[in-house]
Amino acid sequence: MKTKFSGILTLLLAFVVQLTFAQEKTISGTVSDNSGLPLPGVNILVSGTTNGTQTDFDGKYSIKANVGDVLVYSYIGQVTQKITVGTSQTINVVLEEDAAVLEEVVVIGYGVQSQRKSVQSVSVVNAENLENIQGISPQVLLQGQASGVQVVQSSGILGAAPVVNIRGTATISSGSQPLYVIDGVPLNDTDQGTNQGANQGLNPLADLNPDDIESFSVLKDAAAVSIYGSRGANGVILINTKKGSKDGVTRVSVSFDTSITEATDILEVMTASELKDQFVRAGRSIAGLPDGNFDWVDGVQQTGISRNVNASVSGGSQKTSYFVNFSKEDAEGFIIGNALKRTSARVNLSHQAKDWLKVGINLGVSNNSIDRVGSENSTFAPFTSAYLQSPWVLPFDDEGNFRNTGFIANVIAIETLDINDYKSDRVTGNVFVEAEILENLTFKSDFGIDRVFLDQIERSFEINSPDGYGFNNFSQQHKWLTTNTLNYKNKFNEVHSLDILAGIAYEKNEIRSITVEGTGFASDALLNVNSASTPTLTSSSGTNSALYSIFSRLSYDYKGKYLLESSIRRDQSSRFGVENRNGTFYSVGLGWVVTDESFMDNVTFIDRLKLSGSYGTAGNDRIGNFNSLGLFGSGVGASYNGVSGSSPTSISNPELKWELTKGYNFSLSGELFNNRLDFSVDYYDNDTEDLILNVPIPDEIGGPNTITSNVGSLNNKGFDVQLGATLLKSKDFSWYTSVNVGFNTNEITSLPGQNLDENGDEFIQSTASQRAVKGRSVSEFYLIRYVGVNPVTGDAEWLNKDGNVTTSPTADDREYVGSAVPDYIGGWRNTFKYKDFELSLFANFSQGNEIYVDGLRFVENPNSTFNKSRETMLNFWQNPGDNAYVPSSSSSTFATFAQRSTSQLRDGSFFRLKNATIAYNIPKKFLDKMNIFTNIRIFATGTNLFTLKADNLEGIDPEVTDVSSSLGQGETFFTPPQSKTYTIGLRLNF
Amino acid sequence: MNKIYKIKNMKFYLYTILILSMLSCESKIEEIVPENSITDAVIFSNKEQALSVVIGMYGEAQSDDVLNGTPQLLTEFQCDNIEFVGSFPTFQEVFEYTTLATNTSIDPFYEEAYDVIRQCNLVIENIPTVEDPSFTDAEKNDAVAQAKFLRALVHLQLNNLFGNNISESNLSVPLVTKVLSVTDPNQERNTISEVYDQIEIDLNEAISGITNVDRSKATSTAAKALLARVKLYRGDYPGARDLANEVINSGFSALATDYAFYNTLSSEFIFTLVNTSNDGQTGGQGWSGLTNPVPNGRGDAPFSQNLIDAFAEESGDKRFSELTQQGTDAIGLTKTFTTKFPDAITNSANAPVIRITEMYLIRAECNLRLTTSIGDTALNDINRLRSRAGLSDLSSLTINDVLNERRKELCFEGLRRMDLIRTGQNLRRSGMPNVADSAPGANLVTLPIPQGARDLNPALTQNDGY
Repeated sequence: MKTKFSGILTLLLAFVVQLTFAQEKTISGTVSDNSGLPLPGVNILVSGTTNGTQTDFDGKYSIKANVGDVLVYSYIGQVTQKITVGTSQTINVVLEEDAAVLEEVVVIGYGVQSQRKSVQSVSVVNAENLENIQGISPQVLLQGQASGVQVVQSSGILGAAPVVNIRGTATISSGSQPLYVIDGVPLNDTDQGTNQGANQGLNPLADLNPDDIESFSVLKDAAAVSIYGSRGANGVILINTKKGSKDGVTRVSVSFDTSITEATDILEVMTASELKDQFVRAGRSIAGLPDGNFDWVDGVQQTGISRNVNASVSGGSQKTSYFVNFSKEDAEGFIIGNALKRTSARVNLSHQAKDWLKVGINLGVSNNSIDRVGSENSTFAPFTSAYLQSPWVLPFDDEGNFRNTGFIANVIAIETLDINDYKSDRVTGNVFVEAEILENLTFKSDFGIDRVFLDQIERSFEINSPDGYGFNNFSQQHKWLTTNTLNYKNKFNEVHSLDILAGIAYEKNEIRSITVEGTGFASDALLNVNSASTPTLTSSSGTNSALYSIFSRLSYDYKGKYLLESSIRRDQSSRFGVENRNGTFYSVGLGWVVTDESFMDNVTFIDRLKLSGSYGTAGNDRIGNFNSLGLFGSGVGASYNGVSGSSPTSISNPELKWELTKGYNFSLSGELFNNRLDFSVDYYDNDTEDLILNVPIPDEIGGPNTITSNVGSLNNKGFDVQLGATLLKSKDFSWYTSVNVGFNTNEITSLPGQNLDENGDEFIQSTASQRAVKGRSVSEFYLIRYVGVNPVTGDAEWLNKDGNVTTSPTADDREYVGSAVPDYIGGWRNTFKYKDFELSLFANFSQGNEIYVDGLRFVENPNSTFNKSRETMLNFWQNPGDNAYVPSSSSSTFATFAQRSTSQLRDGSFFRLKNATIAYNIPKKFLDKMNIFTNIRIFATGTNLFTLKADNLEGIDPEVTDVSSSLGQGETFFTPPQSKTYTIGLRLNF
Repeated sequence: MNKIYKIKNMKFYLYTILILSMLSCESKIEEIVPENSITDAVIFSNKEQALSVVIGMYGEAQSDDVLNGTPQLLTEFQCDNIEFVGSFPTFQEVFEYTTLATNTSIDPFYEEAYDVIRQCNLVIENIPTVEDPSFTDAEKNDAVAQAKFLRALVHLQLNNLFGNNISESNLSVPLVTKVLSVTDPNQERNTISEVYDQIEIDLNEAISGITNVDRSKATSTAAKALLARVKLYRGDYPGARDLANEVINSGFSALATDYAFYNTLSSEFIFTLVNTSNDGQTGGQGWSGLTNPVPNGRGDAPFSQNLIDAFAEESGDKRFSELTQQGTDAIGLTKTFTTKFPDAITNSANAPVIRITEMYLIRAECNLRLTTSIGDTALNDINRLRSRAGLSDLSSLTINDVLNERRKELCFEGLRRMDLIRTGQNLRRSGMPNVADSAPGANLVTLPIPQGARDLNPALTQNDGY
């Protein structure tokens, strides 16, 4: 019957075409918007034909058409108009603004949604808030930008991995990082860099170009993340890359910037004579110690110079839109030997092949090369060894050649001579086809890949590693996925809007790695392991995982006023035990646009007010690929004397399943006072159960020293508040301010089977200083309480369990003394515009968290041979009455002073001016005269210019972490501080 | 017109959807299996895999923190043989007798020892049930008996480090003789005598069960030799003497003619743990890393002046002239270092676990104490060792002479501390620092039960003084 129908239609159409053929004439006119301004680039099409044109710069057009033809006038952001050609030769058209388009649209999982109608909790960080941030990696751009999103930059090392927590930590042992999705492709985010002392490693997203990013959507509540099922519990960050426009105008943008970089906070250490005095005080002989003095901490720093060039072309017509970007980053860190070079390109293209068929491709390729430096627990790490090295040890011998300084390595020689390269190539992209197969029903098929090739080369030369050392690792992460969705959108009786999505996705990941290592090189000129006389490691490994999912979402609203949304997803994952392969996740959300009610008509100061609430579930699958299996591993560790051995590496748990987060979210958002004030307040309460604990088991059981199972639960609850206000707005001057704050309380609600502390609460000992404790947070510092040096006796004093002073505390005297979890975090942005000047100040802050500065156990140990902090360690007790930092050298506490206690614990609260930018846009009238550029912007930016922090953090950066996992946050061990950067730049648009 | 096109193609799309959905079929999930590991369900299903678990015992024992030098050398600088220089405060604590329960260098001595014990218990419990016709009962018995030897060796090391060996009624470490699971109750500390008794049971079973004769692994002779050591520690001199005598007479090992035997499979060794350049000591602070001078090693563990002086009492001692080198220590000064563990680049130097010299020393000491001359006279045994060292024969002998020879023969091999404790001497000689702190039975002579282990197992009590 359908065939018959279409046949008749063809005939009819042919008839119409025949009838009207003879009466062609030229129509001309002007197209303007409703304020009367001419609109250039408006598409005009004779309906049903390919005959079309565009308006010129003055909005004028002319087109040949026949009487009775329908002309279609379309322009992005305006309502399309259809006019039937009559007798007149002139048709002037006024296009009305399309309210639906102007309404902000947010990118959500597998689609977009009008912000107005959304019941999901999504923080959008858009282009204008990203413009001034000088970030080398995507996550850095997010810092302080979205409420409830905590981004801790782990160190000032280029490419170091930041820690991102959305609404607190929802896990204990599993991966706590959110899922990153770029244009629909979930990203590989396994750090395959070698461990060079630090646990947090390199940022697996460092090879993505921040200049490609149009906006972030941070999906926070269950209503938003449950569509990502077993991967949603840590939150999802959707990265949307820039796309072309359809207005027919080609835009070229070229920008350049140059930065200089230095360290923010540096701890000063003693000079040779100061340290020798200290040795004498400690009763240590200084006979035979060399003369001379060298400032190693200064020696490992430099003023880094970075350059960045970015060029993009974007544009398109009604049918085709494109965005092409090329970018080159050449950055030098403030640590000698640390540099990053990145070249990246992106092509985003979409084409309306037929009015029902659209195809497109988004493709980013990049080449990233990092000259690495070690950090933290490595004597090859510049900062660690510089702090510990004796100042009388010089980096050069009398002839000016580098010398080997032994266990505390000559890090200047290492960074000057040795090779430590990390080079990656990454291809990320997807192709899609979107077809409107029936009226209101769209089918979309998407194939995406994310492929990372990594080549790591280390070569340490004779002077630093006798006989030479070589290392080479090739690894690759390969992900591909297919996603097929059907989307039905319709509006019934003008009041019932329905949007139904259903989809199937399959995703496969493969990680492979090959490593060789050797020693014994005849010459420093021989760079590769094939020249090594003694191969010490040859290894290859591979691992896979796969995820098969079906999902659906239903959105309904009545007059845009009463909103309902529900989603469901079923995941089947290879990562979980055979008994629990499948998991189903769902959410339900309701919303009410209060201002659409008639009773609100008289409340004129409220422009929009929306109430919404949701409940839903999501999972966390970041547990490694085969943790449900009891495994025996082979290889060098288990082998002996050339014979292959096996030893247990994990304990079997066939019931292993997802961590499940169930959460409520209530949200109130709106705009007031003629859109001068916008706000949103969210309250959330998330229970995570079936926590996968990969916790240490008693030593006596033996290796593997941890077991993975689903026990325990925790809760995160709190408020996310976002407030923006245009405080001043006049013709020439405006001031916009926005604040976001996330208050989070993290509490472990059960840890069955774990050991009990003295209060009878279960706990997990996560580091030597920290515990995760039932009834408290995942990061509770558990330490002996340090009091100070007694001015009378010169003894260092601590408190015992009963709160009495003691000079010989034991581990049994430890107490809970604070948490690494902040009470609140946030960001504050101020943008001032005066004529063509723009000043933007952006600060981020964290309040109420403690940090444990582990390195102080070394640089504040009066009894060791290492170098020491000048700040504190010159202040030693000599005579009764001295208020000293260091106990008397004759005291029994002199040797125990540096033991683990609150002496190394600091208040980690800070308020940091993250970014200050002043920009000048060349006035339009000059540009018009030149007639080349549409915009010229000159700017200067300072990053991390100043930080308010506790007094006893002199020389210590409060924003640190030496791990990326949930357990053990807020500790630092000679972690290099953040960088302070000054940038000037220029952007040309034409 | 387009509408028509669309409808015509409906079928095409439906097929596409169907095909794509089938591509994403669920069965693919089941195809994902580990490529780098064997599951516990099948590891003991055949001889080859089961024997790999036996090899795994030795592989685990190669950790620096078990048999590869860190605990052994730590006890030497707790005593009078090494002047600890530089590097880590946790080692320095031990050297200066300010050790805390939270000392993170001591932690792995405890933790990793139990990793080896678990591996031994896996072998003991599972090997007998392996169903593989090619795996004979004799081979199975040999494997189980080797595991008992290793379990005894590691328990003995734990007992020496963490028990106050002044009295056998003091607490030692928990004795673990089965594969524990997380559902088992927390283990409590056993007494030293309980641990010794189990060690003796294990060693006797090893003596009768091991058929292996490769000295890089457990042998029946090695079990006998270790039992001789245990009996000596327990003061059972006749037992120690007879076992040492049996080992000497077995012909399994023979005194080397010179000191070139270190880092070889010379018959001087009764049991030596073989390290290779790609499978050796696990880090920079084992035998080689600590005892070699900068830049190859860390230069942390040069001779103490006291040990240099001890050698200087008699000139021409080849154990000094042939087994030392001058080099730079951790803080840049020139010191005397041992050459017993030559390779500090790939850390491939072997661990000298038990060698025949110790058996001569045990036989001599026990014969002297008991005024017997089983096998040979004490004087002959000692002179045999002195002659190898290029020293003239003694004409008479005291216990101190024997202990002095013992010190010079076995320095840097990790036996000094127990020799001093069992003979009631301070670990430090007079004139050295911390003499009083090092008295036999003094609190800090015994290492603390690591706080990390106590946090995980509250049933563990702490030693006095921590």
